[in-house]
Amino acid sequence: MIAPTATLPRKGLGWYLYGVAAADEASARLGAGLAAGAAQEVELVAEGPLVGVASRVSLEEFDEQALPDRLSDATWLEQKIRTHEHVLERVLEHASVVPCRFGTVYRGEVELRRFLSERGEALEAALDRVRGKVEVGVKAFVDRDRFAAGRARQNDDIRQLEAQASTAEGGRAYLERRRLEQLVASELERFRGEATDRIHTRLMSAAEDGLVLPLQAPELSGRAEEMVFNGAYLVTADRVGFEEALGSLARDIRDDGIDLELTGPWPAYNFVPEELGAG
Amino acid sequence: MSSRELDDYRSGQPAQLADVLERVLDKGIVIAGDIQINLLDIELLTVKIRLLIASADKARELGIDWWEGDAFLSKGNGHGELEQRLRKLEEAAGLPTSEQQESSD
Repeated sequence: MIAPTATLPRKGLGWYLYGVAAADEASARLGAGLAAGAAQEVELVAEGPLVGVASRVSLEEFDEQALPDRLSDATWLEQKIRTHEHVLERVLEHASVVPCRFGTVYRGEVELRRFLSERGEALEAALDRVRGKVEVGVKAFVDRDRFAAGRARQNDDIRQLEAQASTAEGGRAYLERRRLEQLVASELERFRGEATDRIHTRLMSAAEDGLVLPLQAPELSGRAEEMVFNGAYLVTADRVGFEEALGSLARDIRDDGIDLELTGPWPAYNFVPEELGAG
Repeated sequence: MSSRELDDYRSGQPAQLADVLERVLDKGIVIAGDIQINLLDIELLTVKIRLLIASADKARELGIDWWEGDAFLSKGNGHGELEQRLRKLEEAAGLPTSEQQESSD
């Protein structure tokens, strides 16, 4: 699972790289004092036109042997991941940044600088793409009761069944209810199929780029309602146009029982190349 | 739209861990080369970590116990070190340990 490319010193300090920014933007505006946490200081390692946003970390902590255990430690992992995100958010307030994935550690400053200079062209291209932009997340949740009520207003069959169910008695009332529930369920199924395209198309019209992410399970989303959409968008840093489009979309689908949730601004995790090109 | 209206769409701070995980663990540039640590099999690992983060007790409620006898996580650890560690974590969290559960099964 862990592939060391060199024999590691087991002790001492290495460099944890959070992301890469342009030296002229970052150095002037960030200066010193970007603290990742009480114990961790963030430093800007400048190399040519780029700076690496990095912290000294214990090589022991990120050691190949220890890492599987560490990664199984939810407390450790949450703290590290939140630090990673927090540092990049602080940078994002002042400068565009290409975020690295979790766990990017260099043995020494020489290796970190060599990366910044050797992959400088690809890094600058990635930086150009996200300059002046941020990532936002949009999630949509469906409230079943409100969905049924909304559909009843649009769907003659549902309206008719509701009327019949409300006047019917005994066993017939039960059967009408069942038919109504089944009809609402199939409507919801159909809506779910359309929702992705509908929401994504509307939001893409106000974004530079965007993509659909996998849905989150309820135990992760933290909401009881079912998630029907999860997307990420690259938008201008002021977000004005995008938030207008989001507001108008939210009003249009509220009657369908759909609520939108906006997250961010995030560093553009979803809009940087996974692996830097050969250039 | 007004900022008041926008607040309705914003989830509270800090960010949901699920949203942070889905980005920090899954996205961002991956640098291969003279770097020391490479997280491979990240998708599989992420799925597992997400389940763990969902909290061990909740996972148990849902019948998720992937860490028990998991070849992927045990690999390279030898001597069931990880299992032992998880057992310790479970005990610390006041959960029935894997061992107890095996014997009660």
